[in-house]
Amino acid sequence: MRGRIVLAAVVALICASAPLLPPFTLTLLTEGLIFGLFAMSLDLMVGYTRLYSFGHAAAYGLGAYSTALILIHFDWPLPIGMLAGVAISTLIAIPIAWLCTRSTGVSFAMLTLAFAQLGYAMLYRFKEFTGGSDGIGGIPRPAGPFGLDFFQGKLGYFYVVMFCLLASFALCSVLVTSPFGAVLAGIRENEAKTRALGYNTRAYKIAVVVVAYALGSLAGALYTAFAGFVAPELFFWLVSGRVLIMVVVGGAGTLIGPIIGGVFFVVLEHQLSEVTELWPLAFGAIFIAFVMLAPEGIWGLLSRLEKSDARDRKPDFRDQTFDKNIRNPTSGNHAAS
Amino acid sequence: MPLLECRGVSRRFGGLTAIDSVDLAVEPGEVRALIGPNGAGKSTLFNVITGVLPPTDGQIFFDGARITGLPVHRIIQQGVARTFQLTHLFPALTARENVRIAAQARRSDRWRPIAGGRVFAATRRIADQALEQLRLSAFADTRAGMLSHGNQRLLEIAMAVAQEPRLLLLDEPTQGLSVEETEQAIGILRDMLAKGNLTVILVEHDMEVVFGLADKIVVLHRGRVIANGPPADVKANEEVQRAYLGGLQ
Repeated sequence: MRGRIVLAAVVALICASAPLLPPFTLTLLTEGLIFGLFAMSLDLMVGYTRLYSFGHAAAYGLGAYSTALILIHFDWPLPIGMLAGVAISTLIAIPIAWLCTRSTGVSFAMLTLAFAQLGYAMLYRFKEFTGGSDGIGGIPRPAGPFGLDFFQGKLGYFYVVMFCLLASFALCSVLVTSPFGAVLAGIRENEAKTRALGYNTRAYKIAVVVVAYALGSLAGALYTAFAGFVAPELFFWLVSGRVLIMVVVGGAGTLIGPIIGGVFFVVLEHQLSEVTELWPLAFGAIFIAFVMLAPEGIWGLLSRLEKSDARDRKPDFRDQTFDKNIRNPTSGNHAAS
Repeated sequence: MPLLECRGVSRRFGGLTAIDSVDLAVEPGEVRALIGPNGAGKSTLFNVITGVLPPTDGQIFFDGARITGLPVHRIIQQGVARTFQLTHLFPALTARENVRIAAQARRSDRWRPIAGGRVFAATRRIADQALEQLRLSAFADTRAGMLSHGNQRLLEIAMAVAQEPRLLLLDEPTQGLSVEETEQAIGILRDMLAKGNLTVILVEHDMEVVFGLADKIVVLHRGRVIANGPPADVKANEEVQRAYLGGLQ
């Protein structure tokens, strides 16, 4: 609980100090938050349902490209263009989710990867439309509706990204602590048993994959207007791998952790790439260190620190997060104690 | 009308016939034991009834309606609950949450992505009742994976009870329990059966449990029904003696 208050304070502080930050720092932070949103969307699948996707770049690329094409070809205001891009991506995600959930485990991961690579290949196949390897440049941030134009500036856009992230976080938090989220936890823990209880687990999995793709495509749409250009690399499997690392290092199954992981890696990458070209090496080293020493991730480590000075608490396991959240605060009946 | 009826149900795996034209009718409110040596097809029959495996031949009716070939969740939703021979739980969740998810399973609002307060309140109540019935209240806040084997077996039964089923399939509830635990489990099961108007099919190797609980007994041998009737008749049946009961008096 205290962690959440601290976190809210941090968010408020960042928002308040944003106008004072140097332009480059603000740019870096904006990109970090976009990746944080992207990683959080994957956490719904990886951390809450134990669906390991190795093709989440598909969501990112779909959102980015559909928004780019809409903004280039139609004279729609930015928010509407982005929403339309997300809507299109979500529709495309439905058949993808339907097909991928036909299998489980490694084959599920491979199928998601296959769809991302399919998107990648199609960008080259339909060159006239997508720009092929050149991508699409010069994407505008059209003003409106109602004369809104604050998001055309760097600071205004930062607030747009922050707003999207907070709204998505609120949505995910509600989702994972709902009855729907309880079923996801069941699927994560033992899918056969969940099915034997009478749940149509496939339908739940399709739903969570579609939501994850929708939020991932929102991150992609935000990236499009942020960078002003899109390139096929957005669909590439390296992006899928990076975001998976962000989730694991940040702390899978915590929502907040992956956001921190996203910001952490974007900042780290920029810092390291100024020093050496071998920065991916550091990426790998950090990933290995976390998997071996702190599999609960950055957020898990922070929570552990908080717990260690609070006496009279049971050891915290990240898988228990769910239970903790839904425990009814009014009936503190701990029959065991 | 029987609650569950199997007509000529068979299941083959390649050349192996795991169950061979089984006819079985279970009346509402009765406790039917299903016994037979290892590999007789008992668990396969459970899998076929619950739709995990579609039958190769034959028809299955639940409460008069044909359920052959329906997917698992559709069959379970009609009011069937089962426990597994090897314990199936949600190990990282608390015992209460395990049972609560089971209690949520047949509600029409089980999928709600928002505003689940009422769902949680109602299912929590059912979960606490089921835990109490299985004498697990003390472990409500313990993670299921940390419970003893015996309590894990009971927890799985609590989950089945919380589903408020019309037909309960128990696959070796006392499997792997010590003598004392088995005795305790029988007591709990007997109380449970005395209270509710449950229809039960019970797979069990422990003859004390079988003769202590069952109204009628079906004996499977190599996938076939070789005897079906009240305990005394089955005990006296020569074929059963030869195939299974062996030295039992």
